[in-house]
Amino acid sequence: MKKVIASALCLTMAAAMFAGCSKSSSKAKGEINLYTFTDEVVKMSEKYKELHPDFGYDFKVTQIATDGGGYQQALDAALAAGGADAPDIYAAEAAFVLKYAQGAASEFAAPYEDLGIDVNAKIQEAGIAQYTVEIGTRPSDGKVVGLGYQATGGCMIYRADIAQEVFGTDDPAAIKDVVGGGSGNWDKFWEAAEQLKAKGYGIVSGDGDIWHSVENSSSSGWIKDGKLNIAPEREAFMDMSKKLKDNDYHNDTQDWQEGWYADMNGTGPKGVFAFFGPAWLINYTLGEHGADQAGNYRVTEPPVGFFWGGTWILASKYAAEASDEKKAAIADFITWITLDTSDEGLQYLWANGKMNENGTKDCVASSVVMDKSDGKSDFLGGQNMFEYFVPANAGANGKCLTESDENINTIWRDQVRQYTAGEKSKEEAIADFKSAVNEQLGIPS
Amino acid sequence: MNKKKSVNYAKFGYIFSIPFVVAYLIFQLYPVLYTVVIGFTDLEGLTTPVSSMHILSNPFQNFIDILKGSGAGSFRLCLFNTVVMWVCNFIPQIALALLLTAWFTDDRSKIKGQGLFKVLFYLPNIITAASVAILFQAFLSYPIGPLNSIRSSILSTFSSNFDGKGYNFLNNKAFTRGVVSFIQFWMWYGNTMVLLIAGVIGIDPAIFEAAQIDGASRTQTFFKITIPCIRTILLYVLVTSMIGGLNMFDIPHLLNRGGPDGATTTTAVYIYKQAFQNPRYQYNKAAAASIIMFVIIMILTLCLFYILRDKDEEELKKLRKKERKALKHQA
Amino acid sequence: MSSQSLSKSRDSFLIKVVVYVVCIILAIISIMPFWIMLVNATRNSEQISSHPISLIPSSHLIDNKNVFEKKPSFQPVTGFINSFIVSTGATVCALYFSSLTAYALSAYEWKLRDGFFKFIMGVMMIPAQCTMIGFFKMIYSLHLTNNLMILIIPAVASPAVVFFMRQYLQSSLSMEIVQSARIDGAGEFRTFNSIVLPIMKPALATQAIFIYVGTWNELFRPLVILTEGSKKTMPIMVSLLNGDIYRVEYGAIYLGLAITILPLIVVYIILSKYIVSGVSLGAVK
Repeated sequence: MKKVIASALCLTMAAAMFAGCSKSSSKAKGEINLYTFTDEVVKMSEKYKELHPDFGYDFKVTQIATDGGGYQQALDAALAAGGADAPDIYAAEAAFVLKYAQGAASEFAAPYEDLGIDVNAKIQEAGIAQYTVEIGTRPSDGKVVGLGYQATGGCMIYRADIAQEVFGTDDPAAIKDVVGGGSGNWDKFWEAAEQLKAKGYGIVSGDGDIWHSVENSSSSGWIKDGKLNIAPEREAFMDMSKKLKDNDYHNDTQDWQEGWYADMNGTGPKGVFAFFGPAWLINYTLGEHGADQAGNYRVTEPPVGFFWGGTWILASKYAAEASDEKKAAIADFITWITLDTSDEGLQYLWANGKMNENGTKDCVASSVVMDKSDGKSDFLGGQNMFEYFVPANAGANGKCLTESDENINTIWRDQVRQYTAGEKSKEEAIADFKSAVNEQLGIPS
Repeated sequence: MNKKKSVNYAKFGYIFSIPFVVAYLIFQLYPVLYTVVIGFTDLEGLTTPVSSMHILSNPFQNFIDILKGSGAGSFRLCLFNTVVMWVCNFIPQIALALLLTAWFTDDRSKIKGQGLFKVLFYLPNIITAASVAILFQAFLSYPIGPLNSIRSSILSTFSSNFDGKGYNFLNNKAFTRGVVSFIQFWMWYGNTMVLLIAGVIGIDPAIFEAAQIDGASRTQTFFKITIPCIRTILLYVLVTSMIGGLNMFDIPHLLNRGGPDGATTTTAVYIYKQAFQNPRYQYNKAAAASIIMFVIIMILTLCLFYILRDKDEEELKKLRKKERKALKHQA
Repeated sequence: MSSQSLSKSRDSFLIKVVVYVVCIILAIISIMPFWIMLVNATRNSEQISSHPISLIPSSHLIDNKNVFEKKPSFQPVTGFINSFIVSTGATVCALYFSSLTAYALSAYEWKLRDGFFKFIMGVMMIPAQCTMIGFFKMIYSLHLTNNLMILIIPAVASPAVVFFMRQYLQSSLSMEIVQSARIDGAGEFRTFNSIVLPIMKPALATQAIFIYVGTWNELFRPLVILTEGSKKTMPIMVSLLNGDIYRVEYGAIYLGLAITILPLIVVYIILSKYIVSGVSLGAVK
């Protein structure tokens, strides 16, 4: 019996293993070390070699998942160690890009101009979204060390059937008025929430949906003069979260958990009207988890503008010290990703769904590229999403970010949840938030 | 002649320990010394070279900073969390493992299928902590989830004014601590049982036979013979479970990121957050916290050694006497 | 007399019922997660997000497998080979050298013995999270990354295994056997290999399972050290299935986790006979 089980398992294993791959190595001038946490950048390196057969260098790709901080740990150690394996080009996500572009690890980054890229002129020429430049600019010398390819300005993505039922229309311009799109305040949003509740719907899935909108539109960041600073907008988020919960305006889900995904597909406890996010949320998350609702979503302007996420590309100081030939190759590749506005440039391919096997379109940083791209999406019932996302990208700002945001946000959201769930008072939650930030991050208040 | 021989044998004690010592010196000594030293310094940040760090004017400043806070997120609170969750899984785990060992090693009441049971009980230990965390998150998920379905079907049967809403289990501090303790218990009781059984298997069966002939009951046999005979293994089990439990990291970190409200942030999670997740890289604080944990664990281990000491010592003495006798005999 | 034995047999019947009920409950909660994992490997992301746990398999196994093909970083053959090398190497190193050290600690009398044992105990108590910093710093500055040996050789110094083996030897090694081997003229090293190691079989088997499982499942250390695609172990590859942090393909992840566990189950079944039956020491004596 045991033998039977064991051999059956072996067979299953063998069956599962047939996906072997072999890589052929061609003769190349050398290797460029590329560190990334996402396979998007891996695909870009392959596409680039395909488009530029005379490139001459091989990409030695190191892809590490962000699990448990593994990517940053390996990248930090590799940057600090230097040598032949040191990263030449590396990717950083919005949650931690500030550490590499402005904070503790920024000294490892090389300014784009040191690679021979005429960065300021090209940024102008391509019309790169201002906030991505702000985030990628190192404060110590005011030079651009990183740029993104995406633009991640956020919109409100709502369900057409619910809009039709509750508000009598699913027209984006009309819905914009219903929720007070572009008004800069949440007054009409609450009115809409009450109307939706009357018909048994929630306006959002959880408080996380409006948090990003609050976070990236507030007047100041988490840290001011080395001390913890709670911007009034962020403090007001506590009341918003409480209001959503007490009035039953949402399903009280947490972002990135099963309940949140279920709401995208309309299978939660009650139907959810809207999600707040950039174009990538549609492509990656809503598209993946809301397949039953395909064609039923529309995009309109949110009450308060914001941005969320994105990936930045940096070159290391080791790349800037390389031979002129290698430096030029690195510069060409980075330019192709971040600054090239031609129809062969990454951003055009990206915006028009020519990089992904399923043809999903995404917003990119260059407004020049956006102007000549078409954002019609079947998932949005044929709506051209760029109509709303392009202005959203212009409205985003990266001024009140700090490198500790990821950590502070986690503590903050946790305390807000405690308050919202009635576990503690607002004052206690704020006091505990301050204490936890000081104890765990060493930031006094 | 006699003396010469025993010196000769002592030599092998050193020789056989060489691989361990060499591997330790090469791979682990530096990291350990590094940790100990930076606990007393101002070393912070990713790019600060080790050469530029300084011993603090008060070398214990990091320790004072860590220990003085008692509010949310403080080390003291994390220590409290750790101890609570550890006690809640350690005691039931040892108790159940001992009980199962007693059942499975009892020759008189042959339990059918015990081989299969033994194999199955260890299985939870095979799954990675990450998978276990995902599965438990799924089980407890909110607003809709398996446990919530069970809860609402019970509540709707017994209470007429149930609102039908789900309950966010992972936002309840006591409940989440309980879940972490349960997972630890569930993952490790089989492991503990396997170790204890291996110890019992090592006992000379003649001892049990003699006990049976003398008419000892099962309970008597277990407490008077089995337990004393596996004392050394028991000491191992207690000490390693304690070390593992007080350094508990994976499950609390993965289940709910040490939340809600820091209720499952153990000291190991605290150390990890200081060293790896903090963009300021407070290596010195992490190192100091590690040293504090080391001292605490050492004291507790010494207590365990003290409690289970007698027999250990006696056996050692007996062994030595035997060896000496044998040597004399040889000579 | 007869009524007494009757009540006794009723008692033992009751005890048996309790034993079986407890064992069956424990067995069910041990198997459950594996079943749920296998079932989820056949379901797609939508199904999993709306009903995270199900006991009835669905029909998306092939779809989930196809996700692997879209992920060039997921190469199960390479992952299995690397995991196999690391786990087997580390297990063999840890078992053999720890037994040797434990034998040195329990069979010989030498001056530094007690001190050495205390040192090993102390080493065991150091929290792993903190020595990581120094370990990574050392590995990276010596450019030893992407070397599987770095995950194998350090296992030679496994304090917890030494401690276990020492405890086991103290309770089950009789010096008479060693003495008689010496009288037969066997060298110390041969005595250890041919007489002491076989005595330790049950202990070796249990520790082998623990070490194998532990190394196979280890994620953080390999994740940081093995950065090259061709050197990655299975758990790292599964972690990369989540490569796009905005996209969660639950079904494929569960399938990856299930595949990762299969070899462990095989190893476990092979070694479990020692757990089930053990090795009687009476025969040796």
